[in-house]
Amino acid sequence: MKQHLGRQSGVQNVEVSLIDGKVEVTPKEDGHIDPAQLLKATYDSGVSVAELNMTARGKLVKDSSGNLSLLIEPNRSFTIVPNELSKALEPLVNSSTQVTVRGQLYKKPNGKGKKKADALVPLKLLILEIQKKE
Amino acid sequence: MNRKKLALLLLFVSPLMPQAQAEIKHIEMRVEGMT
Repeated sequence: MKQHLGRQSGVQNVEVSLIDGKVEVTPKEDGHIDPAQLLKATYDSGVSVAELNMTARGKLVKDSSGNLSLLIEPNRSFTIVPNELSKALEPLVNSSTQVTVRGQLYKKPNGKGKKKADALVPLKLLILEIQKKE
Repeated sequence: MNRKKLALLLLFVSPLMPQAQAEIKHIEMRVEGMT
């Protein structure tokens, strides 16, 4: 799995901890890493993903449906799941302020069965921590 | 220096300045069934 993930676009380094069941991925600075692709690659290597968390820096915008989103690149944004922390970010929409947040992009649904994560479903970001506003 | 020259100077110098780039900094997964 480590080698499989390491071959994905935008991945600089992969650390696997067998004891904790944790996989840490360090992206390259080119910013071309795709969490949905990583999720799919992990499943393709025969391992089930229980949870995927991400730390990212970007600007806050509203998408065409009026949902709060974190804009990471001009062509990549993640819709933010509304919670108490996301409310605190609302005033920063369309400002030049960059925020660094840690959030959950995927969590395995409850229930039996090994349901494969669908890479086509857009991942939504549940903010767990606001680390920096700059 | 007039405003036009100042604007041109900023235009050419700004890409050289360090910027806080928007990016994914770290990804962590919790996995099951790993041997």
